[in-house]
Amino acid sequence: MSARGSEGLRPLKLPKHEVRVLPNGLTVHLVPRGPLPLVAVRLVIRGGSVNDPLGKLGVGDFAARLFRRGASGMTADQISDTVEFVGASVGGFSNEENVIVSLSTPSKHLGPMFEVMSKLVLEPDFPESEVELSRRRTLAALTNDLDDPGSLADRALVRATWGSHPYAHEAIAGKSDISAYTRDDLKRFHEDRIGPKVAHLYVVGAFETDEVMSTIERTLGKWSGGPDAPSEIPAWNGIAKPGEVLIVDKPEQTQVQMRIGARGVKRGHDDHFPLITMNTVLGGGFTSRLVTEIRVKRGLSYGAGSSFDMMSVAGTFTVSSFTRTESINTLIDVALGEVKKMREKGPSKKELETVQRYISGLYPGRLETNEAISGAIADVVHYRLPESWISDYRERISAVTVPQAAAAAQKHLFGDERSIVLVGNAEQLKPMVERYGAVTVIKPESFE
Amino acid sequence: MPSPTKSKSSAKKSPIPQLPPALQAIADSVIEAKLPNGLQIRLLPSDAVPTCSFYTFFRVGARNERPGITGISHLFEHMMFNGAKKYGPGQFDKVLESNGGTSNAYTSNDLTVYYEDFMSEALEKVIDLESDRMKSLQVTPKMLESERKVVMEERRLRVDNEIGGLMDEELSTLVWKAHPYRWPVIGWMKDIENIKREDCLDYFRTFYAPNNATVFVSGDFDPRQAMALIKKYYGSIKPGPAVPMVQDSEPEQKGERRAEVRHPAQAPSLMIAWRGPQGDDPDTLVLDVLQYALSVGQSSRLTRALVFEQELAVGVSVDWTWRFDPGAFTVVMELKPDGDPKIAEAALYAQLQKVADHGLEPRELEKAKNNLAAHLLRELATNNGRAHALGTYELMLGDWRQGLALPSRYESITAEQVQAAAKKYLAPERRSVVTLVPTEEKETPEVAA
Repeated sequence: MSARGSEGLRPLKLPKHEVRVLPNGLTVHLVPRGPLPLVAVRLVIRGGSVNDPLGKLGVGDFAARLFRRGASGMTADQISDTVEFVGASVGGFSNEENVIVSLSTPSKHLGPMFEVMSKLVLEPDFPESEVELSRRRTLAALTNDLDDPGSLADRALVRATWGSHPYAHEAIAGKSDISAYTRDDLKRFHEDRIGPKVAHLYVVGAFETDEVMSTIERTLGKWSGGPDAPSEIPAWNGIAKPGEVLIVDKPEQTQVQMRIGARGVKRGHDDHFPLITMNTVLGGGFTSRLVTEIRVKRGLSYGAGSSFDMMSVAGTFTVSSFTRTESINTLIDVALGEVKKMREKGPSKKELETVQRYISGLYPGRLETNEAISGAIADVVHYRLPESWISDYRERISAVTVPQAAAAAQKHLFGDERSIVLVGNAEQLKPMVERYGAVTVIKPESFE
Repeated sequence: MPSPTKSKSSAKKSPIPQLPPALQAIADSVIEAKLPNGLQIRLLPSDAVPTCSFYTFFRVGARNERPGITGISHLFEHMMFNGAKKYGPGQFDKVLESNGGTSNAYTSNDLTVYYEDFMSEALEKVIDLESDRMKSLQVTPKMLESERKVVMEERRLRVDNEIGGLMDEELSTLVWKAHPYRWPVIGWMKDIENIKREDCLDYFRTFYAPNNATVFVSGDFDPRQAMALIKKYYGSIKPGPAVPMVQDSEPEQKGERRAEVRHPAQAPSLMIAWRGPQGDDPDTLVLDVLQYALSVGQSSRLTRALVFEQELAVGVSVDWTWRFDPGAFTVVMELKPDGDPKIAEAALYAQLQKVADHGLEPRELEKAKNNLAAHLLRELATNNGRAHALGTYELMLGDWRQGLALPSRYESITAEQVQAAAKKYLAPERRSVVTLVPTEEKETPEVAA
């Protein structure tokens, strides 16, 4: 079988997607599909952590997670018992741009479970005892997480790349923020940032449309308040200290976690498809250049890869891997060398054809579960992507040419404007990595 | 009780009860066959998305190893991607990816499992690739040396530099004195360093034969064509010798066993395991119910008591993994930075004693069963999930139908059975306790690598 273009791709059987807007401004997306008797509900509200006030970073996520610990007079135990009894789950959290409340339930319990979910959204109680309990747990978890070198490296990288941009709020939020939240802050978050006009509701799975609509109208139809429009997210000027090498000191480590971060692109960028195909050649699949050079040829690491993290107004590009302490120079040199080679020469025709077949062949597998479909549609809506984004995805990947991919690499892959983050034994590492730039050593405790 | 070392297909089988419609539809779609060389084939056609999953289960894992070559099952899993006769070194993933597919694999104590997810058009290519490496894997000295280094790095990642990995390794050596479950699946570092090419070749001949393998294919394909292709590509592979029995010489445990792991950490934690029954024992399902009642969801007993009410732990989880031979019912408690492991341990035992003394409330029992049923449905939602779940159930219970019948088998479990299981299995003399004692960084000697 030849790896050529989109010829012969079997059509995607996309389920019907119906959109209705309620009088209060809430947009409802209904996607009925079977065959399993399950439903996924996702409520996406544009009030994410970019809106958290300085000094109280993380307050939105903290509040959203408390939704299920008391609402409309139901206690945490009552909510948990009601939802978990039928094999459902419900909960809220916040990411950079959105507050998300989701429900996953067997179809036959959708009505009552949706009512519980609506109570969480409309009337969270934030009981004082639950706020304090959650604060103690969050502080303890923040400290315990310092033991995980991989997640420490990821957090350090977010700080090193985004700097003081609001996209770094989650990674910067620390003990002083968490200690400062008051119950009034949580109520204010709910009043100011949560409302139907900035929200989209997605219901995907086996359900009766009329029945679900009447449940939604009866519950979230009463929802009011919140912002009229989403807030503006400020532009980003690129990484704060280009050339910096940041070491998070963990003297007991015999292995170093490595991240190289740089500027990427925003979601829906014109170069999206050339960039995705190019990056899959560089560090996406299991036969990518980074895996071949780092793992297969040199046995330096168990894993290596590169990825674009794309948000509404900007994005980052990251190369990730890890190796034993004594091999760190080889690892960094190989990683930087592969990025440089790709930037200067682009992918070969054969490499491009391989990844085009790889990405488009696997794409339908990203639309198998109710949760995956609701997530994919929510992305199209949130990032204002063209409506044909999902249906044409494979064709657009297949249409990328070598010159397009090479041009995208040249334009978007970093030269000297990058930060290197290492988590490991600083005493051993520092003299080894000074040749890559000015080294700063920090303690894991600075992430508390 | 059937011998745990014999083929699971000879294990006792419960009659299959009436299934709910969604599960019956899956059961009706399955096509089964066995080739003359012993290869078992199960086809699960469904046209929801134009992709397929192809699973190969080999009945071999760390359980089939011996001291000196621990970790060979896992190292061998890596070697399976490094070249066979038709598709040489580096070709497996290249050919697969250029045909719109991806692959991965895992090794457990009992099984080694390979899978490919791919666009439907690539089915023949996947069968060609998989049968090629079963037929004629090449283990070259060069590839073996390179892969050995990768696995050593994986061990540094998952064990030597990961607190959970360090504790788990310590725990297994406490729980099992004689059974191969006592060594880690990834193997001891010195063994990984010293495994010989001859060991690998011998291992391949013994365990990677069609009579020791089961294939599950799910997704959008024509079952008749798929069956013909599998016969064409696998039919000529010769069966291997009978797989050597694994002797379970584990002696009876005479009392509690304890160990400490001293390592730099922010907070203490506990890993406590009780010796349980083997996977196809009826009590295994009773312990599934107990596991869910204790730890799944914010309203579960241990989470509510230890995390939310007494605030002794940041998180608590229960692992009850089915195994061919008697396994371990394991509780993991991550404490707060100032937490006292002695107090947390006592509080845990008090909760478990309550179950042993009074059983579960009717509503708790019902909740556990509802969640187990919902969990099965979610497992079956993808091509990959269906092939993996039904394959695992077949290997563990002797028949994939037993997996689809699980919700009704759970339904018949009573509160008295759960109480009796808690009393029997969670007794102090059956347990092993590992405590993580956080040390200052300076105190720590270099971890041998």
